[in-house]
Amino acid sequence: MKAVHYLNQFFAGLGGEDKAETPPTRLDGAVGPGRGLQAELHGVQIVATLACGDDYFAEHEDEALARLLDMLAALAPDVLVAGPAFGSGRYGYACARLAAAAAERGIPAVAAMHEDNPGVGEAGAAYVVPTAVNVAGMRDALPRLGALASALASGRELGSAEEEGYLVRGYRRNYMAERTGAERAVELLLAKLGGETRTEVGGDMDRVEPPRPVGDLSSALVALVTEAGCVPQGNPDHLQSVRAQGWFRYDLGGADTLASGRYESVHGGFDVTLANEDPNRLVPLDTVRGLERAGRVGRVHESLYTTTGNGTPVVVATKFGQEIAGELRDAGVQAVLLSGT
Amino acid sequence: MGWELASFSPDLLGEAAVEGAEVEIVPPGSPVRVTHVLDAVEPRIRSDGRAAFPAEGAGEGRTNRLDGVVVLSCLDFPGEERPLHEQESIVDLGGPGASLTPFADMTAVVLTFSPGEGGHVEVDKRSRRATLAFAEELSRPTLDAEPVEVELFQLGPADASLPAVAALIQVSDLGPLYIQYVYGVPAGEAGLPRALDPAEVLDGAVTCGEYHWAAMRNPTWFFQRNQLIRTLYREHGKTLRFAGVVLMRGYEQSAADKQRGAERAAGVAGELGADGVVITTDAGGNSHTDVMLTCRACEEAGIRTTVVLAEETDPLSTKPILTDWVREADSIVSTGNVEELVDAWTPARVLGGDLLLDGTAAKEAGLIPVRNYLGAANQMGQLALSARTE
Repeated sequence: MKAVHYLNQFFAGLGGEDKAETPPTRLDGAVGPGRGLQAELHGVQIVATLACGDDYFAEHEDEALARLLDMLAALAPDVLVAGPAFGSGRYGYACARLAAAAAERGIPAVAAMHEDNPGVGEAGAAYVVPTAVNVAGMRDALPRLGALASALASGRELGSAEEEGYLVRGYRRNYMAERTGAERAVELLLAKLGGETRTEVGGDMDRVEPPRPVGDLSSALVALVTEAGCVPQGNPDHLQSVRAQGWFRYDLGGADTLASGRYESVHGGFDVTLANEDPNRLVPLDTVRGLERAGRVGRVHESLYTTTGNGTPVVVATKFGQEIAGELRDAGVQAVLLSGT
Repeated sequence: MGWELASFSPDLLGEAAVEGAEVEIVPPGSPVRVTHVLDAVEPRIRSDGRAAFPAEGAGEGRTNRLDGVVVLSCLDFPGEERPLHEQESIVDLGGPGASLTPFADMTAVVLTFSPGEGGHVEVDKRSRRATLAFAEELSRPTLDAEPVEVELFQLGPADASLPAVAALIQVSDLGPLYIQYVYGVPAGEAGLPRALDPAEVLDGAVTCGEYHWAAMRNPTWFFQRNQLIRTLYREHGKTLRFAGVVLMRGYEQSAADKQRGAERAAGVAGELGADGVVITTDAGGNSHTDVMLTCRACEEAGIRTTVVLAEETDPLSTKPILTDWVREADSIVSTGNVEELVDAWTPARVLGGDLLLDGTAAKEAGLIPVRNYLGAANQMGQLALSARTE
C-alpha cells in the first residue's frame, strides 16, 4: 500500500522562513520526519513527499491546493499523512485543508497537530492525531500517527476516537457493537454497582435553563405560543401532524376563548379527542383573557404562534424558536406563555 | 409445507373488520422489502392445549417454538380520521437494511391483511388476534415432533453476596394503535407497575400493538426472545442474582401520574430487593419522560440504574440528543441514532404494500432513516446497534 506524506518547507528540508514562499513541490520517497514515520507504518510505503511553503499556501490557497491535489491524484495513494504540525498555525492549517480536500475526494487522510492548533477545525472528514505543542513531541507522535495511517490505508473500519487515538470530530455515528444492548446494559449496571459509572451517552445535554421571572406581568404584553398543533378548524395551512416543516401565526381577532369547532389540534403524537372538546386546554386563551380583564396581565398579543412538536429534529425546532422569538421581540412582546404537549 | 392453513382462515379472517390476508413464505436472506409491518411473532404452541398467548398463566409448563421462523403481519389502515397514526415500518430481508433486523436470517411468513369495515380499532384487534392465532397454528406440527433443543427457564438459588438485579420493562399505552398488551389487556389497564415472573414475559404474556416510530418499537418477538431477560437468567448465580421483572407503563397521561408511576415502579423494584435495575423504554416522546422519572425515583430510593435508550440526533449535530434526560441518568446504553440514513437499496420484491405511507414507491425509496426500520433501535437492547462520537 502507498502513502503520500505532506510537509512544509522547513520539515521537508527546503529551508526556513526565507523559503516560506516555496510553491508546491514533489520529492521522492520519505523526507525528514517521514523517515521516522516510515518506520512506524505497517505494510505501507511512503512513495512521495509533497511540500509547500507555509506562506505560499496561505497566500495562494486555491492554487496551492489544486496543484497538490493534482500531484496526489497522479500518485493515487491509499492514505495521505500530513504533518505533524504541532502548534504551528499556518502549517497546521495547510495540513488540515489538504487532508480535508483529500478525504472529500475519497483518499483516506490523517493530519497530526496540537489539539489547540486552529487547523483542527479545518480538517473536515479527515482524522487528526493530537501531538505535543512543539517538535519535542515528534518521537511520541510518530507511532500513533503511523498506526492510524496504516489502519486507514488498510481500509479497515475504524473504531471510536478513544480506541484509535484521533481527536473527536464530534459526529454521532451508528455502529454495530460486539454485544447486544441488553448485555452491555447488564455490564454497565454491574460496573456501576461496583463503583465505576460509565455511559454510552454523555451528560453533555443541551439544557435550556428556565428564564428569570417576568418583573411586572400587569403591564406586560403576553403572547401565546404552542407546539400543540393547535390551528383554526380545518387546518387551512396544512400544518403537519408530525415532523412539522414550519410554524404559523394566527390572528386571534380579539376572541375571548378558543372555541371548540373553531380551533383544533392536528398533533399526531397524542390522542387529541379531549383537547378538541376544549382547545383552551392546549392554549389557555380563556384563562389569560380573564387575567387580562382582572388587570393581572397587561395585554394579550393579537397573534397565536403554533407548530407541531412531534418528531421534530432539534436543529429544526431551534430554528422555529428563533424565528418566532424574533417576531415577538419586534412586536414588543415581553412574556410568552408556551404550552407544550 | 406440511401443515394445513385452511382450518385456520375462515374463523379468524371471516370477520367484517378484516377481509382476508395474503400469505407469503419468504426464505432467509431473500431480496425482499416488507412494508407496513405491524408486528413480528415467533410461532409457538403449548402441548397442554392452553393458548400460546394466554390470558393468564404464561411461564409454566412446556411451550414449543419454531426456531428460525418469524410471522410478520402487515396492514395499511384505512384512511379514516383517527387520533393516533401508525408510522411506516419496514423490514428489509436483504440489502443494507438487513443488518438492522434479526429477521433477515429467518424464514419470514408474511401476512398482508386486507382491512374491511369497522374502523381502525376493530381492524387492529382482528388482525392482531389473527396474527397470534396464525403463529400458533403454524407451530402445530411441532406437537408431534421431537425437539432439537430444550431450554429451561428456572431461577435456582444464588449466592446472597451477588448484587440483585431486576429488569424494569416499559410497555406503552397511549391509545389505540399505540398499545402493548399484558395478557391481552392494554398496558394502561393492566394494573402496572407490577412484578412478573421473567418466564411469563418470555412465554407470551406481553404482545405488541404499538405502531409509533418503527425503530423504537418492541414487537412481540422481542418479548418472546427477550435478550435482557435471557442475559439476566444466564448471569444468575454467576455475576448477579436475577431479582425479577417489573412491567411499567409508558405514556402515563398526566404529570402527577408520571411521577406516581415512576415512584411505584421504584417501589416494586425495592420489594423485589433489587440493588440495581436495567430500565428499558418503548417508543418515543413522553415515554422517555416516564423512563427518566423512573430512573430518578430508583436512584433516590437507593437502587442503581442503567437506562436503555435510542438517540434522536440530527446527523449534523455534534451532541447526542435525547428526548428527555435527568442528571441521575449517568449510565445509559445507546441503541443507536434513529435519524441516521440507511443506504438506498432496490429489492427484487416488495410485500406488505407497494407504496410507503408517505406515497413513495417502496421499491425505489432511496435513503431511508433508521427510524422506519422495525425494531432497529429498540430500547430493550435486543440488538447490537449503538451510536458513538467519532
